[in-house]
Amino acid sequence: MRYSFYPGCSMEGEALPYLKSFEAVADALYMGLEEIPDWNCCGATVASGVIGDFPAQALSARNLALAEPMRFDIVVPCSSCYMNLAQANRKFQEDPHFRAMINEALRAGGLKYKGSLKVRQIIDVLINDVGLEKIKSAVKKPLTGLRVAGYVGCQTPRVFPWEFDDPEQPVFMDRVIEALGATPVKFPLKTRCCGGSHNLTRPEITTGSAAGIINCALEDQAQIMVTACPMCQLNMDAFQGMIKGEYELKAEMPVLFLTQLMAIAFDLPPASWALKHNIVSPYAALAPFGVK
Amino acid sequence: MTQPIKYESEFAKEIYALENGQQIKKCMQCGMCDVSCATKKEMDYSPRELFMLLRTGNRDEFYKANTMWMCSTCLMCKVRCPRGIALVDVMHDLKAYAIKQGRTKPPQAAFYQAFCQDIMSRGRLFMGGLMARYYLKRGWTEMVKAGFEMKDLGLKMVMHSRIPMKPPKGIKGLKGMRAIVERAQELVGEEVKG
Repeated sequence: MRYSFYPGCSMEGEALPYLKSFEAVADALYMGLEEIPDWNCCGATVASGVIGDFPAQALSARNLALAEPMRFDIVVPCSSCYMNLAQANRKFQEDPHFRAMINEALRAGGLKYKGSLKVRQIIDVLINDVGLEKIKSAVKKPLTGLRVAGYVGCQTPRVFPWEFDDPEQPVFMDRVIEALGATPVKFPLKTRCCGGSHNLTRPEITTGSAAGIINCALEDQAQIMVTACPMCQLNMDAFQGMIKGEYELKAEMPVLFLTQLMAIAFDLPPASWALKHNIVSPYAALAPFGVK
Repeated sequence: MTQPIKYESEFAKEIYALENGQQIKKCMQCGMCDVSCATKKEMDYSPRELFMLLRTGNRDEFYKANTMWMCSTCLMCKVRCPRGIALVDVMHDLKAYAIKQGRTKPPQAAFYQAFCQDIMSRGRLFMGGLMARYYLKRGWTEMVKAGFEMKDLGLKMVMHSRIPMKPPKGIKGLKGMRAIVERAQELVGEEVKG
């Protein structure tokens, strides 16, 4: 299994623990990752609202063109990056007019894309390529008894509904949590939007949304929350202090990236757990598993 | 008695000519988007109502509406719309259209512009650069207010090494990337005219 790897901008900053843990976990699962050389920002949920949809898709297509010579499918951990790259790629493969237009734009940068790649989200790859059996066999320290809220977030299962999971009540992340020996809690708000990029312009939207999501996980007696989205993690973890100032939370909720929990269960070196980056301390919840 | 609605078909035509504008015609006003929207309570016009405003060509009310700026791109409406309208893509068009018309008053417009300037300057986004550009547009009062409200959060981000102090190095192909975007914008313009 080899993949072209698109880290996305957040992995160079806010989502650093995602990068550290994902690289180590991928290594442990024998997924060869090769970073796309000189990749650029996908435009997130924002660029299309300024430069327009098609120019934003051309921005994503530059990454596809740079990845194509490596000949491996692209794995994307961030949900927004996945949305942009996967949508542009799908449209390119299905719409001949769009294909011609994109290549016309790419030519201005000396690039060309043939459309031979697939863009894959990390959860899809973990379940359908790696497989739960292989994940289970990599677990050296089963997280028995740990109650985990799998926060899928909004975009991941909705980009292509039913392609790899249910867009409203997805189950894939819970299956991975189970494979680690932990117990996924019911958590009906697992796909509720975290408020996204309103966190800078209207933080009260983010705190209101996040308070409901955290309390929902607490009601189902979750001890920690995991997510595979940098924005969800930021809004639940870094904003939790602000949330507590405005709403009543029944307890603190540590929020990890799914791959951090995997690195712990796989008993990989503590540097790959990258827990020092987590703002709400996860140490009490994880103490029974030798995490300190 | 209330005034009869004045239809302004010129405005509706402008909107239909946007990249995803034709989709607006497919709306049957069922309201599925409204009940699915994560941020509807922040909107003055719900997505369904906004679509009606556009179809009646109500330019003035459209300019006042915050609907597209409150969209968080959660995709729920797009998944559920029984007419298959990609509402989020229409929202992209409406934001870009509003900015083009100089309607940049909401804080989100400043954020969107700051974000784009930052990626176009380097090829990758840098949180510090985005914030600096955003508050430069918003002014001192907003910056001081946010600095006060978000002081603890910022401090924690720094303490936990979640904000790099230095921006990432610009990508090597920055010139090429900009040329791709510019060419793409030209191509869209030609399509609309053609």
